[in-house]
Amino acid sequence: MKRRTFLQLGGMTAAGAWLSGCRSANEKLIPYLVPPDEGVTPGRAEYFASACRFCPAGCGILVRVSEGRAKKIEGNPDHPVNRGKLCARGQAILQEVYHPDRVPQPLRRSGPRGSGKFTPISWGEGLSLLTGQLRTLQRERTTERLALMTPQLQGTLADLAARFMATFGSPHHIRFDLLAPDWLRAANRRSFGQASLPWYDIAGTRYLLSFGADFLEYHLSPVHYGFAFGRMRQGRDTVRGHFTYVGGRMSLTAASADRWMPARPGSEGALALGMARLILSESLYDAASLAANGLRPDRLSAGLEGYDLPRVAQLTGLSQQVIAEVAREFATTPPSLAMAGEMVAFQENGAEAVRAVQLLNVLVGNLNRPGGVYPGGGPVAGPENSFADLLALVEKMRGDRMGVALIHGDPLHAIPQTTGFPEALGRVPFIVSFSPLLDDTALQADLVLPDHAALESWGDVIPLAAPRGTVIGLMQPVVTPLHDTRQFPEVLMTTARELGGGMAAAFPYQSYQEMLKETMKRELHPAGGIDLETVWVDLLRQGGLFKTEGKRGKGYRWRAEAPIPLPAEPRFAGDERRFPLHLQVYPSTAFYDGRGAPLPWLQQLPDPMTTVVWDSWVEINPGTAAGLGIGFGDLVEVTSPRGSLRLPAVIYPGIRPDLVAIPMGQGHRGMGRYAAGRGANPLVLLALPPSETGPLPAWNATRVRVARISKEGGLVTAGNPEGSYRGELIEI
Amino acid sequence: MEKQTSPYRWGMVVDLDRCSGCGACVVACQAENNVAICGKKEIAEGRNMHWLRIERFWVGEYPNVRARFLPVLCQHCRDAPCEPVCPVYASYHNPDGLNGQVYNRCVGTRYCGNNCPYAVRVFNFYSHQWPKPLENQLSPDITVRTRGVMEKCTFCIQRIRRAKEDAGGEGRLIRDGEVQPACAQTCPTEALVFGNLADPRSRVARLVRSPRRFRLLEHLGTHPSVYYLKGGGREHV
Ligand code: SF4
Ligand code: SF4
Repeated sequence: MKRRTFLQLGGMTAAGAWLSGCRSANEKLIPYLVPPDEGVTPGRAEYFASACRFCPAGCGILVRVSEGRAKKIEGNPDHPVNRGKLCARGQAILQEVYHPDRVPQPLRRSGPRGSGKFTPISWGEGLSLLTGQLRTLQRERTTERLALMTPQLQGTLADLAARFMATFGSPHHIRFDLLAPDWLRAANRRSFGQASLPWYDIAGTRYLLSFGADFLEYHLSPVHYGFAFGRMRQGRDTVRGHFTYVGGRMSLTAASADRWMPARPGSEGALALGMARLILSESLYDAASLAANGLRPDRLSAGLEGYDLPRVAQLTGLSQQVIAEVAREFATTPPSLAMAGEMVAFQENGAEAVRAVQLLNVLVGNLNRPGGVYPGGGPVAGPENSFADLLALVEKMRGDRMGVALIHGDPLHAIPQTTGFPEALGRVPFIVSFSPLLDDTALQADLVLPDHAALESWGDVIPLAAPRGTVIGLMQPVVTPLHDTRQFPEVLMTTARELGGGMAAAFPYQSYQEMLKETMKRELHPAGGIDLETVWVDLLRQGGLFKTEGKRGKGYRWRAEAPIPLPAEPRFAGDERRFPLHLQVYPSTAFYDGRGAPLPWLQQLPDPMTTVVWDSWVEINPGTAAGLGIGFGDLVEVTSPRGSLRLPAVIYPGIRPDLVAIPMGQGHRGMGRYAAGRGANPLVLLALPPSETGPLPAWNATRVRVARISKEGGLVTAGNPEGSYRGELIEI
Repeated sequence: MEKQTSPYRWGMVVDLDRCSGCGACVVACQAENNVAICGKKEIAEGRNMHWLRIERFWVGEYPNVRARFLPVLCQHCRDAPCEPVCPVYASYHNPDGLNGQVYNRCVGTRYCGNNCPYAVRVFNFYSHQWPKPLENQLSPDITVRTRGVMEKCTFCIQRIRRAKEDAGGEGRLIRDGEVQPACAQTCPTEALVFGNLADPRSRVARLVRSPRRFRLLEHLGTHPSVYYLKGGGREHV
């Protein structure tokens, strides 16, 4: 036997031994790279492929494992979404596994709710508490009193959760996620008759026009589009793609733009229509594209009558000349590409504003062409209005019509209080949290059944943005679970089995892993009849199924019945005189919506725009701040019609004078030592503007006022507020 | 110019037209090199331990304002001001053009740090902790530095060594792109390119010939091995 073979066998036995901990002793861990011929050095690290589910982008990862411990996470070069690259967050999920404050075993509440007093219990006890509650609902024939709240799940886990709830007999599976692209699906359905998410060919475009789409930070797939952006700039010999950004705050993404257009909040849609009207009136449109989409230039022009240059300039606060210039550049630099993002969609008139941006693409022929936008290859269907589902659930909870809430995630931190969710949840008699850390939701729970960390879990991850084909990332437990935790889907399945009857019959699997294999089998060969075992090993080794060939689906075409998008005048919550400033909340580069806050690497990472560490802050235009007597780092109070917050001020040159901005992500009550009690959660300030059709998820439509409190903001920045103190470094 | 005794002269190109300032490289470096976790107080004292930082500059005023990012790491100068001032030769130059730091030689005079015009050397003023079980994340390839020791970017020398072993075993030189430091490996926009400047066909050598090229504080005559490419366009901001 060659030395190398011997060592490999040894390694595999060891791998088998680790995995028995998660009830899959027959599985071996398949290393990503076969070590080179001169032998495996004992102790030399091996790489295992898995997937990142921190955000829905779903990048492929390789985990370096040495002596059974995960050491570092790198991008999987074979994964079509991220091609070996990763964002800061994806690399930091390593610290999720070894976080010093993980919940090591199930907990039962022993003090009053929210007191944080828990008694450790065994899994047997924990599961019987849960099944006991569910049996009561079954016995009383009130199974609809069960609620399940999760993020927007994909693949096998989505299937499992749906099956669990349907078989149990409850329609209340809520998949609300503030940053989920429901708004984009809805807009696509209204304009194009299909709700699939788009794929933008940024690398191939010559003129990129982003309306509040922060694709380098969090929008859809930041690593995928970051990679494309690098190529758009410097990947072609003779073309350097141009980038214009529209939005009242200069985001990290906007900082890379050639031109920044700080349009007044809520006027972005009007700006898009103003550009459209100009393109029409100067005959710069693509006639073939309009014809193919069943649109007539004369009718369109008539529809956009009100969006003449002077009026649009007045609405947006931008100069006529700049608007006209950008419209002309956009129309005459093919292929160009317009994108709409969260910062527009979260305005009160966001739904129509997003469609106005889509119209620009139709007008100059950017649909279904290289350098333009295609229907993507990601998950075909998904919620289009989970916000409405959330509100309906809140109503039921308030009316004491929910008995048990199973919660995966931290909605008490991530759902704005203006929805009434926190009080409503308080009325639910039995709350179960699956959080691996005692986060804000777990602190209110009656039972905590801690989930594995991502690197200890099985799963499939379907990326949000993929050019075409089928891309499914596979998660495998690359390390033995550190604590006495169990995977969330495994717990649901065990519960179903214990409940017996139809519930047990709905899950004829030994384990979640087996169910996962079944899904992959279906994906690989719908007709069946393949040797799954061999293929499975290959899939695990390479990190999933990456079929990127094949035809694209049906392209986008403007629906015949689709109305011309006409965003109404934006409405805001809060009276302009009492609350003179607009508030923008935006996902933090490091923490996303807050799920990254417990990880010390991310806390220590200086925020790219402000270099603030370990804190939150409010960004204020220098002129506005001077008017209010506010200096850099001062403690200020931000008050909205809904509440107030105290946090330090950052004087931010890249923001409109009538706008202030606060990053999401901090202000956790719990979530371990690195996050708890740190910074502020801006979601508490949000109020929803009045609306005839019921509340809209208009998260950027709150007005506030700001007042200085003291000099003691306690703000720490890694860099000098003005830039480097060695100012000579600037030669750029 | 001294004689080149090694077939390698490692260098890096930072394309500022690609860099988005996202900070992925900062975390990659910290993870790869067992860089300490620093709390707010330590950073407030100006004692952050990051080997790689992203400088952010505001240029101009609202609305004609722009933000610029500049990743700054050890420039691996050919004429490194940090080297001659070290009384114990902890800061040294290796034949591949790397500016190295021998941790167990360092006695903590901090002369090197004071003499570095790029402020990329970081000193362990404190003894750093990884609360259990966080210490499991520490890489066994890298020494954990103790209090009183100076440290800095090494271009991930452990990766270069390993690549040399692999290539040496096959009786060849390291191929272009075969080895990259953690920062370049993860950079989503491919702003960071690492390679052998002594090989005129390497990607980094080709990029260095770009007319957009410049180096930081070139007038000091330190001859850094890190080259920057100017951000293009952005004429309207
Ligand atoms: S973009 Fe999202 S999925 Fe990709 S590495 Fe970052 S957090 Fe993970
Ligand atoms: S990872 Fe790349 S794009 Fe991001 S800050 Fe570093 S050099 Fe710039």
